[in-house]
Amino acid sequence: ELEEKYGTSISKGLSSARAAEILARDGPNSLTPPKATPEIVKFLKQMVGGFSILLWIGAAFSWISFGIQFAQGAESPFDNLYLGVVLALVVILTGIFAYYQEAKSTNIMASFSKMIPQQALVIRDAEKKELPADQLVVGDIVEIKGGDRIPADIRLIFTQGCKVDNSSLTGESEPQSRSCDFTHENPLETRNIAFYSTTCVEGTATGIVINTGDRTIIGRIASLASGVGNGKTPIAIEIEHFVYLVAGVAISIGVLFFIISVSMRYKILDSIIFLIGIIVANVPEGLLATVTVSLSLTAKRMAKKNCLVKNLEAVETLGSTSIICSDKTGTLTQNRMTVAHLWFDDQIYSADTSEDQTTQPFDQSSQTWTALSKIVTLCNRAEFRPGQENLPVMKRVVVGDASETALLKFAEVVLGDVMDIRARNKKVAEIPFNSTNKFQLSIHETDDRNDKRFLLVMKGAPERILERCSTIMINGKEEPLDSEKAEAFQTAYMELGGMGERVLGFCHLYLPENEFPDTYPFDTDSMNFPTSNLCFVGLLSMIDPPRSTVPDAVSKCRSAGIKVIMVTGDHPITAKAIAKSVGIISATSETVEDMAKRLNVPVERVDRRQATAAVVNGMELKDMSLQQLDEVLCNHSEIVFARTSPQQKLIIVEGCQRQGAVVAVTGDGVNDSPALKKADIGIAMGIAGSDAAKNAADMVLLDDNFASIVTGVEEGRLIFDNLKKTIAYTLTKNIAELCPFLIYIIASIPMPIGTITILFIDLGTDIIPSVALAYEKAESDIMNRRPRNKSKDRLVNEQLAVYSYLHIGIMQSVGAFVTYFTVYAEQGFLPTTLLGVRVNWESNAINDFEDSYGQEWTKYQRTYLQWTGYTAFFVILQVPYLTHGMLRCFQIRTSFLTPRFQYWFVAVPFAILIWVYDEVRKLFIRRYPGSWWDKNMYY
Amino acid sequence: MGSKTWRELAGDLKLFLWNREERTCMGRTATSWGLILLFYFVFYTCLAGMFAFCMYVMLLTLSPYTPTYRDRVSPPGVMIRPYLHGFTIAFNVSKRSTWQPYVDSMHRFLAAYDDKVQEEKNIECVAGRYFVQGGHEGEEKKACRFKRSLLQSCSGLGDPTFGYSRGQPCVLLKMNRIIGYRPGAGVPVSVDCKVQKGNESDLRSVDFYPGNGTFDLMYYPYYGKITHVNYTSPLVAMHFTDVKRNNLVPIQCSLKGEGIINDVNNDRFLGRILFTLSIGK
Repeated sequence: ELEEKYGTSISKGLSSARAAEILARDGPNSLTPPKATPEIVKFLKQMVGGFSILLWIGAAFSWISFGIQFAQGAESPFDNLYLGVVLALVVILTGIFAYYQEAKSTNIMASFSKMIPQQALVIRDAEKKELPADQLVVGDIVEIKGGDRIPADIRLIFTQGCKVDNSSLTGESEPQSRSCDFTHENPLETRNIAFYSTTCVEGTATGIVINTGDRTIIGRIASLASGVGNGKTPIAIEIEHFVYLVAGVAISIGVLFFIISVSMRYKILDSIIFLIGIIVANVPEGLLATVTVSLSLTAKRMAKKNCLVKNLEAVETLGSTSIICSDKTGTLTQNRMTVAHLWFDDQIYSADTSEDQTTQPFDQSSQTWTALSKIVTLCNRAEFRPGQENLPVMKRVVVGDASETALLKFAEVVLGDVMDIRARNKKVAEIPFNSTNKFQLSIHETDDRNDKRFLLVMKGAPERILERCSTIMINGKEEPLDSEKAEAFQTAYMELGGMGERVLGFCHLYLPENEFPDTYPFDTDSMNFPTSNLCFVGLLSMIDPPRSTVPDAVSKCRSAGIKVIMVTGDHPITAKAIAKSVGIISATSETVEDMAKRLNVPVERVDRRQATAAVVNGMELKDMSLQQLDEVLCNHSEIVFARTSPQQKLIIVEGCQRQGAVVAVTGDGVNDSPALKKADIGIAMGIAGSDAAKNAADMVLLDDNFASIVTGVEEGRLIFDNLKKTIAYTLTKNIAELCPFLIYIIASIPMPIGTITILFIDLGTDIIPSVALAYEKAESDIMNRRPRNKSKDRLVNEQLAVYSYLHIGIMQSVGAFVTYFTVYAEQGFLPTTLLGVRVNWESNAINDFEDSYGQEWTKYQRTYLQWTGYTAFFVILQVPYLTHGMLRCFQIRTSFLTPRFQYWFVAVPFAILIWVYDEVRKLFIRRYPGSWWDKNMYY
Repeated sequence: MGSKTWRELAGDLKLFLWNREERTCMGRTATSWGLILLFYFVFYTCLAGMFAFCMYVMLLTLSPYTPTYRDRVSPPGVMIRPYLHGFTIAFNVSKRSTWQPYVDSMHRFLAAYDDKVQEEKNIECVAGRYFVQGGHEGEEKKACRFKRSLLQSCSGLGDPTFGYSRGQPCVLLKMNRIIGYRPGAGVPVSVDCKVQKGNESDLRSVDFYPGNGTFDLMYYPYYGKITHVNYTSPLVAMHFTDVKRNNLVPIQCSLKGEGIINDVNNDRFLGRILFTLSIGK
């Protein structure tokens, strides 16, 4: 049937000709990379984004006025040419900087293509051939052996002990066995399909290729991931908002003063030059670079705390996160099975599940425990890799599957040297676990020399084990297994199962010496020994336990107003149990089902709104409309999504985003990558994570620890606060740069500060104090605030703009003007002389310009004085920050024309004034929260 | 969010300007506006007061007679007269209207140097040494006479056209005033002219007055316009008696003397001056 469907033959394979035909039709078996925007386009985008367009306009105006002046033969037209060049350079350099930052974080498809297997063993023309995997076509017969990467989606037709590792695709951590049987409708669940790019762990298999390239499951996920639009990060939106605001101010003031200067009968050309000056003064050229530098400093700090940030803007995103959708396995849990509970003597004992357990606290005095521990130790094929004696038990590498490993480690912790015990109880026969028997059995000699009996130990699915037992051990004595005891067993089994734990049953039987003497030949095929009427000893349950740091981290997230949602591919019961133990579902809250159970009413009649928690199954999610999903997300504060598919994860993330939330997603598998990409911030696991997940993510947790996210949130919030300070600082400067222009135009005084000097401040000296603000310490309540509301708590709000522009900015300008007048007065030009002097001052022809004392100045001497003024003005803009004790040496070095030392003192009263004013502002805000002052002065 | 229609935007704007329900204009109620305006009034008044105070204190520190620093204004720059629009003196001998403005400019400038005026206001000083006047800083200082007649054939007394009518123009050169400056360090500063970047023979002869084209030491130092009220800058007249006609002749006249700098590239008026003579028939 299959042969027919795919037009092939199982024994002979396709003919080469036919294969070539199909290859021509379907294309090669590889993932198509996404259509990349050409690099040049990306680069040009950087060149016109943000303030760049304003600066380009400025540069264009400079060149136009140069052209006009040059044509008119004016004396020094080159000033404008240079200004234009400098402006263009500024734009190009900041553009290159931004482009470089962006280029670092765009290589998602790279890892998908890395996963493609190089060679595949194919049957074609009735011959086995090695072919490059991208030559595979639908219908090809492929042979796979342990260790191979699966070359395409394959329908298996012959298997032998084949297991595949699907972890990168579905997130299941254990290897899945594969057979030829069709077991499930869902292709992801069925046993007879092996998926492209997964790994065959052991065994061999032969199969028919059913999908190639982009049509494979992973191809679909890949296209899903790259198809997901990467929305703007919150900080990008904030900065855009800021750019609009500043650009609006710049343009309106520029145009206003253009009109004023034209109506004051300035020449149009001069007015244009004023316009350029106003634009340059208003635009914080260095700010975007400063933001990048601040972010990367924070990113560095976070990297030290095991959060590797790939996309710089993600640093802040984490701070504004309001919902975290966390994967379970590996993130919240330790990703290894551990014995959590034991049941013997009709009692449940808890075991220690922490990461660094060395002893087990439960009562070990019972005879039953002695028997149980013997079974646990002996009926186990797992072994430690040799040479790890010095490592703690939990850190040792084990050969064997997950549950056997758990049992081995458990036994090692409780009993000591397991390998020695095994050596003393020599194994004589063994039946390994298989899915039809559902048990594992071995027969041992005992270490008691007087006891010549053999010991048969067995473990397996509890109900199967119980079926084979006729007695049960209570307090070391065998008692008949009556219905009462069976009931007790059922209760315990249900209870452990209800905690989402994997339960195993253990039983044993001492074989009578007379029937089974020393030399008895045990044959595991014919089973010439009893496998029923055994003695039931106890149950052990295992779980992948939560990391010890997680509950604390979750509660911190809670107090920081972040909702933590668990999204997992695991079973609802396990998911819920883990959610409860880490606090995602808090102790007091109930799901609808819990309430129904408590009130003893059908689920439908429970008021859904009263349930704070919800566990949603992937199947239910499938049938939900978007409104229903929104309702779930809205009404329940504690949500667990279980059994979810990659698409569903995406839907959940989108649902959260529809609520206006900033969503962080953690994940490790390929299956998570679309959701990681879609999330406002995707967080991948560094150790367990697949490359695809790491590539799709904005951030990688190097230690796979959820608690690191909390650190990240704190850093993110801190950087937001600090960026606010940076911007307040920068905007303050803008006014002090702008005022000189306005007064220059209106009062016709010599130019207090030049355009190039402004650029020098913005791009040079301003950056370091701004960056220094990134080191500011966090407020004490930073982790007790709610996450900021995207639409309300803006980076730049009215108060911040008003405070920096109209309060501090004006104060600084006044201080700067005092200095300006001082410089001129001390050189001979009293303030009264300066007013209205502009035209003669700037005339090249007047070289005997008289000052207030009767001295005469050449044009160049005046210009030189003007530069001294620039320098003084420039220095004064830095002085207020000197009083804050910042960067003293730095500013001394940057004064290119050393001004007289005493000019530095002129602005000191103003520096003190600004400092006092700001402190008083903060004091009042602290003293009178909610007052008029608070509302108007807090930003 | 999405984009809003213009109508909605207009509605929002109207609501922003005047919200009837909350009685707010531009997001603030009357009391709120009152408070904020009061705040800014007080704030800016205080700031203005502080500005005024600082300026007042700063002005108190200044001497009314001598500026605190004089390093940007020295060494002296140089200017010429006649000065109309630029540094090209171009005229046709035969056309009076082309040179009359220059002549008028010269007469206007030299009015302050009229012998009568000088005799009336200023004193005769001892030539050849600096005229240092001690005493209190605020005392009025005497100024030395610089009579127009010292310029001889360029004085405009004998030839009221300063030679322009004959194609032999006079150009006056003056050194910028600097308070307390003593040019030449004991040796009078002299003036020399030559053709700049051109045929040397275009400028065949120049006569300098007074003397050999020197600024006599007795006119220095200058004490500032408050105390040195009648000070008149000494001049050197350059009589270009033989300049190539119908040609643009670029001329550079520079000061020579101790402490004079005349070769700064950026400042073409520091210790020298460049101008062009263009004399037509």
